[in-house]
Amino acid sequence: MTVAAGIGYALLALGPSLSLFIALISKKPFLILTLLSSTLVWLMSLIVMSALWRAFLPLKTTAWWPYAILILTSVGFQEGLRILFWKVYKKLEDLLDAFADRVSKPRLFMTDKMQIALAGGLGHGVAHAVFFCLGLLTPAFGPATYYVEKCSKIPFFLVSAIIALAFATIHTFSMVIAFSGYEEGNKVDQCFAPVVHLIAGMLTLTNLAFGGCMIGIPLLYCVAIVTLVHCGKMAWRRLIESRNREGNFSNSQ
Amino acid sequence: MDGGSILETIGVEIIGVMSPVSICMFLVVLIVYTLSSPSSSDNQQVIRTAANLIYLESSSDTTAQKLEGALLNAVVFVVLITLVTFLLVILYYYRFTNFLKYYIRFSAFFVLGSMGGSIILTLIQHFNIPIDSITFCLLLFNFTILGVISVFSQGVPILLNQMYMVALGIIVAAWFTKLPEWTTWVVLVALALYDLVAVLAPGGPLKMLVELASSRDEELPALVYEARPNVSSRSGSRGPNLGLLLAGFSDGDPIELRVMSSSENVVQNGRVVSEMRSESEEIDDVREVEIEGEMLPLMGSSSSNNERERPVVNEDIRESNESDRARVLEREIEEEEERGRGIKLGLGDFVFYSVLVGRAAMYDLMTVYACYLAIISGLGCTLILLAVCRHALPALPISIALGVIFYFLTRLLMEPFVVGTSTNLLMF
Repeated sequence: MTVAAGIGYALLALGPSLSLFIALISKKPFLILTLLSSTLVWLMSLIVMSALWRAFLPLKTTAWWPYAILILTSVGFQEGLRILFWKVYKKLEDLLDAFADRVSKPRLFMTDKMQIALAGGLGHGVAHAVFFCLGLLTPAFGPATYYVEKCSKIPFFLVSAIIALAFATIHTFSMVIAFSGYEEGNKVDQCFAPVVHLIAGMLTLTNLAFGGCMIGIPLLYCVAIVTLVHCGKMAWRRLIESRNREGNFSNSQ
Repeated sequence: MDGGSILETIGVEIIGVMSPVSICMFLVVLIVYTLSSPSSSDNQQVIRTAANLIYLESSSDTTAQKLEGALLNAVVFVVLITLVTFLLVILYYYRFTNFLKYYIRFSAFFVLGSMGGSIILTLIQHFNIPIDSITFCLLLFNFTILGVISVFSQGVPILLNQMYMVALGIIVAAWFTKLPEWTTWVVLVALALYDLVAVLAPGGPLKMLVELASSRDEELPALVYEARPNVSSRSGSRGPNLGLLLAGFSDGDPIELRVMSSSENVVQNGRVVSEMRSESEEIDDVREVEIEGEMLPLMGSSSSNNERERPVVNEDIRESNESDRARVLEREIEEEEERGRGIKLGLGDFVFYSVLVGRAAMYDLMTVYACYLAIISGLGCTLILLAVCRHALPALPISIALGVIFYFLTRLLMEPFVVGTSTNLLMF
């Protein structure tokens, strides 16, 4: 029973990512490599952040502002890393195109680029879910559960799995949005990812208040849904545009 | 877009190596997890193996004692391994190849039968599986014998061979995780250093072994995982035919022939891929150039057979029209590309990667994941280096170094941070 509960928590946090992985990523080796390297980058960012904050932890105060600073710095660092990730990816894309020319295969399609972005985002999301939820899940397989004082209605593992799911969604799709924003030079999309990330991080501050998770988690899911819808709209628009462009191209020939 | 984008073709061989390593590590972690969690409280029986001959760690010793003992253990272990490897090289040099093969078969038998059997027994006890001893012995015997058969004979499907290699790796690694903690870490680091020296230094035993094998054009008489893709999973209906064809040719003969023919029966191109060569060469760039070169004789002139090509007629492939033919050729090239790229990974690398991850599993899931990522990225770096250097490379040093570093970073730095934030339900 407890094993079932543990697996259930894990699947709750990682199920959608897992199905994305199986349906899309696992068929293309390059995407798996992207996923792994993006996860590694995220892990390293986490290690760097924890090294910076190591001296101050554990925070003894009950005030919320040190945590706010913590989240602010972490999000800032990770968003900086996202830009770096984009630059590296840009170089890689040139290499891939050159390679495709050499083996006389088509260059990267627009969908390919989006898939790479998705794999990168999924890496971020998976790393988040694994380290913040799955890493703490070991006791959940045992014969008891754990409640946090501040959110006493729901078991801690369930709450963290639910939050991890929201964050995995946000990370996965905001990477797609950010990459397309960088590519098109669209300022709104470029700023979308950091802003959403920051809002989501700040929303978890509500969990510090008693019963705050009842408000924070629905809001967090609103943010996740906004991200999803925005990403869907953007992908739809770009697909239509590229199809029109192809249509024009073949008409003009 | 039936050809698909290049995303599907790039990195096939890297994944071909990474996925069995991942499977091996995952299963070892599962085994360690299930077996160590209930008995972690009581002090389990420490076994004495070659890796802790000198010093048996007990939790009451001081750190200095532990470190000293672990160092001694590691030195003895590495010296033993060096001696054995030199013995192998000497035996191989004087062409005791059959002896080596039978010895390795015997050790595979031993590992699968006794060590694997005892692990399976523990698992059966742990899960209370009702099974009588006669059935168990029969099943274990069959399992073991099939494994022994699959070790060196080319007749068996490559998938079976790969599965047994992974199984061997899992069993040995699961045993190594029973070593005491300090000894494990020091032995891992020492082995990584040993690997570096043995493969790269002039006169290093593994380097000599590889060079000998490649100069004789023979298979290396050792337990090596071959990352040749299993054909059936990848290509369409014609795949199994080709696979059979290949197995038929390579039976008892280390040279692989690749067959190509067309309806006009003019273009015949069999590539000879010596097994050993494929270990040390190629991943990306080199091979692409070669493929481009090969496009020419395939598509164009029929008479330009160079010395590597052999005329072998493949009766199976009869495609009539031109477009079909082009498609087939393209596909053949792809397959050839995959098949030629048999990256080989020694079983020892499997074992010690898994030992590291298994040891990390005794601490926490977080360290497991960090170590897994580190090892896999180290493996990726090694494979990229392989493409650049084009000779045999040690697979342990980069991965083990990264794995150890990430383990301690995670344990010392990240864990308090992550636990501190997420028990407050703060995430970002």
